[in-house]
Amino acid sequence: MSGGIARGRLAEERKAWRKNHPHGFVAKPETLQDGTVNLMVWHCTIPGKAGTDWEGGYFPLTLHFSEDYPSKPPKCKFPQGFFHPNVYPSGTVCLSILNEDSGWRPAITVKQILVGIQDLLDAPNPADPAQTEGYHLFIQDANEYKRRVRQQAKQYPPLV
Amino acid sequence: MESEDDIIDDLVSMEDDFYSGDFSDYYDDPNDEDNDYYSDGDDDYGLLEDDEDDQDAGVSRRDQLGYTVLKEADIKQRQEDDISKVSTVLSISRVDATLLLRYYNWSVSKVHDEWFADEEGVRQTVGLLERPVIRVSNARELTCGICFESLPRDNISSAACGHPFCRTCWQGYICTTINDGPGCLSLRCPVPSCNAAVGQGMIDKLATIEEKEKYSRYLLRSYIEDNRKTKWCPAPGCEFAVDFAVGSGNFDVSCICSHSFCWNCTEEAHRPVDCNTVAKWILKNSAESENMNWILANSKPCPKCKRPIEKNQGCMHMTCTPPCKFDFCWLCLGTWSEHGERTGGFYACNRYEAAKQEGVYDEAERRREMAKNSLEKYTHYYERWASNQLSRHKALADLNQMQTVHLEKLSDLQCTPESQLKFITEAWLQQIVECRRVLKWTYAYGYYLPEHEHAKRQFFEYLQGEAESGLERLHQCAEKELNKFILCDGPSKEFDEFRAKLAGLTSVTKNYFENLVRALENGLADVDSQAAAAACSKTTSSKNLGGTSKGRGGRGKGGSKTGGSSRNVDDTSN
Repeated sequence: MSGGIARGRLAEERKAWRKNHPHGFVAKPETLQDGTVNLMVWHCTIPGKAGTDWEGGYFPLTLHFSEDYPSKPPKCKFPQGFFHPNVYPSGTVCLSILNEDSGWRPAITVKQILVGIQDLLDAPNPADPAQTEGYHLFIQDANEYKRRVRQQAKQYPPLV
Repeated sequence: MESEDDIIDDLVSMEDDFYSGDFSDYYDDPNDEDNDYYSDGDDDYGLLEDDEDDQDAGVSRRDQLGYTVLKEADIKQRQEDDISKVSTVLSISRVDATLLLRYYNWSVSKVHDEWFADEEGVRQTVGLLERPVIRVSNARELTCGICFESLPRDNISSAACGHPFCRTCWQGYICTTINDGPGCLSLRCPVPSCNAAVGQGMIDKLATIEEKEKYSRYLLRSYIEDNRKTKWCPAPGCEFAVDFAVGSGNFDVSCICSHSFCWNCTEEAHRPVDCNTVAKWILKNSAESENMNWILANSKPCPKCKRPIEKNQGCMHMTCTPPCKFDFCWLCLGTWSEHGERTGGFYACNRYEAAKQEGVYDEAERRREMAKNSLEKYTHYYERWASNQLSRHKALADLNQMQTVHLEKLSDLQCTPESQLKFITEAWLQQIVECRRVLKWTYAYGYYLPEHEHAKRQFFEYLQGEAESGLERLHQCAEKELNKFILCDGPSKEFDEFRAKLAGLTSVTKNYFENLVRALENGLADVDSQAAAAACSKTTSSKNLGGTSKGRGGRGKGGSKTGGSSRNVDDTSN
């Protein structure tokens, strides 16, 4: 029913992003091997906030949109095994605004999603753990947790 | 509450039921209010006021029963009335009143309380905005916040907040949420930071007929399911709901679809047994654990391949089925090749006896023995529980046959008006059917009555036995002896005799069951009193004395929590 909307809206999102987007962020639809653009998958980069342990990291995130978008939220994935209490082992981000049963609203933009996830990086939600390792370290061993975060930030240097 | 005694219910068109008559006083006992059926008593608001509402709505209630069965039309009517009330009192639209009521679980008084305490806060929480939060521009075209396309004004709609979205995007949003379930009743504006509620007005304007239909179903369901005082009748296919008055003590509820159920746990009616026992029993009946017990009790695992083996005949020399084919001794589970004359021959096993004397087998043997006993015990109670259930179903079918065919025939044959034959349906409906149900549940009760409570068990089994044999006599009389009069050719002199006998048996059985129900409901507390034996003989001797037996029973119980005194007995004697 809303199948027509998804691509139109994504084209508009793309336009709006090109006009103006937050510093350090990247968001662009996937380009297939034959050179065509697939609006349904976006490759993005989220910079770690300055002044936090995440600073210096440029974290790759993929957004997978469905035909139901924007009635349903996109699925947002970091690389598999990404270290963060609210990221599933598969890399999928667990965040209230991305949950179709509660926080998602169709007017949430790609920009808002990316900024929301950037905020989540340094402000994990311990009430909603998605992986054992990140959660336990965050709760029990703050020093080790910080060390792991800084180590991960180094793993993802800026793409020059 | 007592003052409403004279309200007659015309919705529940049933005969006086099994628990009516002076017996019902027992349940209306004001002491019962001490029992807090709703532990979260902090929101007991408005029960009294709501009772008045019921009268306003013209839905009367059968006070003795303490509940009202609602048909779909009644539910809609009540919902409409509640919405009108809130809408009028708060001077808000019906759509907003609906949103408010739903948010506060359809409690009119809770809505009033909250609203008058903090209108601003309530508006904020529920999302009822008084004015748009954005300035509505006068431009001819507006940009939809979902598809970002610029469209003429008349293609754009907004909730109270004013955020503009085009028709197609609204439809997509509404369609998705309605198809996702009852969450659509608390729909908000698509803008993430905006909490403006999207009410039925928008739905009516934008949804398809099918979606609107779904939405109103959810709204109707919410009125029953989110309301603490109402529940759907759990019978398959039944669309009626039950409004239950808190504090009426007895949870048994009878829907007009003829299904009786417990309002508290929604299992079938199970008085006098409590909900926990019933839940345990039902779980036990369905659980695979009973199969496990059987296997444990009646088989031993093959020592080699571990498959369970049942020994159903023959000597102790076992040969496991292929492919295992292991030869072993049933008693000691050792290999058979080491057996023979020197170990005690083929029918005994010295190794086993010797080891047993040393205590090696005791533990396993004891467990097996226990499992066997417990299985036998369970089977005993289950068989009786199930056969009473079967009898009850048969009785219901017979009753139906009686009412549709035989009664008319009997009336012609015996030249008696059908109204004079009420004693027959009474015997069936109120005694046989109801008592089968009670009796059935007493077997679940008996199963869980601790073995070591000898006095209680004895008393219970005595009461149960009396009730059961009374019921058997009544059932027999209603089933067999009545047939004679249906099959004969004309009026029979013996019919009057039969009438007296059946009516007598009905009342005797009623007394037996009242004693049984009462005893179980107070946890067989009579046994604890010093006069256990005396009480026992008292109940026996007073059984046929009608009213006076109640007085004595009441005194016997003394200060027990349920209170036994009925109104025609001097309360001060307690």
